[in-house]
Amino acid sequence: MSTDGDFGFSIDITVRNEWRNVDLLRTSVQNCFTAVFADVDGCHAIAMVTGELLENALKYGDWVSGDRARFRLRVHGKASQVVEVSVQNPLKGDEQHASTLLKAVEWINGFAKPEQAYRARMLQIAQNDEDEQPSRLGLVRIAFEGNCRLHAKVADGTVTVTAALDLTPQAPA
Amino acid sequence: MENLQSGDLTIEVAVTPESVFRCTWKGKSNERNPPEILKPWFEKLLAAVGEKQGSIEMHFEKIEHFNSSTITALIRLIQICRKTNVKLAMVYDQTLKWQRLSFDALRVFEKNDDLFHLRFA
Repeated sequence: MSTDGDFGFSIDITVRNEWRNVDLLRTSVQNCFTAVFADVDGCHAIAMVTGELLENALKYGDWVSGDRARFRLRVHGKASQVVEVSVQNPLKGDEQHASTLLKAVEWINGFAKPEQAYRARMLQIAQNDEDEQPSRLGLVRIAFEGNCRLHAKVADGTVTVTAALDLTPQAPA
Repeated sequence: MENLQSGDLTIEVAVTPESVFRCTWKGKSNERNPPEILKPWFEKLLAAVGEKQGSIEMHFEKIEHFNSSTITALIRLIQICRKTNVKLAMVYDQTLKWQRLSFDALRVFEKNDDLFHLRFA
């Protein structure tokens, strides 16, 4: 992590595909940002987004034939501006997974407010008797609790999901 | 009713004289598949509550973090409690923004039947 005079920061690391690394990285990101910024809620949001993106990557990435070196976390931005959290992982060979992911991101971004998407997804989950996999609740949570815009890109056998958190101080209502 | 201890998560149960099963969540719910752990424990809890014709209070004020798969398990619990006419309350710390956002969103499941409600400590 690096910072300069205007509190720019950047984390860019290759990650081993072990489940316990999700919490190690989530708490590391939270601790790093808490050490730098006063906005504890913002730091928690960045950490939550990091954890959910890493969990999705581990659950749905190709860890059998995929290149494990392509599992990568990037967090960069500037204080009080937009912070981008990206996770890249090898993609399973079938096109269905990529298609489902891209449709999920499109569905979330189609709502005027992420809160609406989150509530709609929770109601869908409640209506289904069986747990649908993937549930995609993590992505909707990122959009809602992180107040994020989501973007997914598929290229060269990898998928990269990016969440852009707006940490710009909000004017009082 | 036994406490749940799994990985970084602990749920401590205390039963009041009024048969309120007070379940206090501590630590982190960060397993790959939390419903796999929580569902059987919830089933035992519901059976114990049913025997005493009691109710459930889930306290989240002390939990540090839970992942979205845990929220799925909580949605399932809300649905089961409603179907079985078991009163369920979820109590959270409103001063923590992440808890406020997570639990306020669950108000979508509150109805006028008094079977499920949210409140902050």
